[in-house]
Amino acid sequence: MADPIHLEYEVAADDYQTAGTASNSVKETLKMLGIPTAISRRAAIITYEAEMNLVIHGGGGKIVANIDEKQVELMTIDEGPGIPNVDKAVQEGFTTAGDRAREMGFGAGMGLPNIKRNADIFEIFTEVGKGTTLRTVINLQ
Amino acid sequence: MASVRLKTLCAEIDAKIHVQGDMSHEASKAAVGDLLSFVMGSDAEGAAWITVQTHLNVAAVAVLKDIPIIIIASGREPADDLAERCGIEGITLVSSALSVFDICVRLGRLGLRG
Repeated sequence: MADPIHLEYEVAADDYQTAGTASNSVKETLKMLGIPTAISRRAAIITYEAEMNLVIHGGGGKIVANIDEKQVELMTIDEGPGIPNVDKAVQEGFTTAGDRAREMGFGAGMGLPNIKRNADIFEIFTEVGKGTTLRTVINLQ
Repeated sequence: MASVRLKTLCAEIDAKIHVQGDMSHEASKAAVGDLLSFVMGSDAEGAAWITVQTHLNVAAVAVLKDIPIIIIASGREPADDLAERCGIEGITLVSSALSVFDICVRLGRLGLRG
């Protein structure tokens, strides 16, 4: 890989129709770069769950992917309501999703746990009323 | 572990085919789930996925998990945009009047495992 790759995706609030676009693009990009399937799948799962978090909770936002020889860094940035209790939010089964999301098979409290499980580094920076930034890294070496 | 051709699988569950991908492809196992994050977090790669969810996001999960066939159970019909996306992605999309349980029983008879 000669130069680092930088990708950005805008995700709109409540837009269930286009969710999956960023994750598919990240997966395809990693595939093109010859990154092993097991790694690209992990990155795709992280990105998809992050997209859904922006759609359901974050009021929309941005997903940023930085790929170099050492790592895949995936960041989710929103200016939504923030997370009052991060420890709870990363517990499997805890959710604040509404009825619509639940009816569609989301909001089972598995999003952040799925992200955490697939990441080598998992960091949440959040402030109530200001927004949330989630940073994950998958090591390639 | 047995793999089953999609054509054989569809015949076994009296499937109505909405989108025909490559029917000579095989499913290496089967997975059941209506919680999309559950399926995302499971090892469903290459599986025939049985669900009662019918909306577009089902296709997104199938793409990410390299799922060759989506089976909508219990007589439910897929949304038009789900069928459209499956067509673009080459994923076979079928529905069956059978319940999730009965579909599992029949796929088990074909030798598929979870």
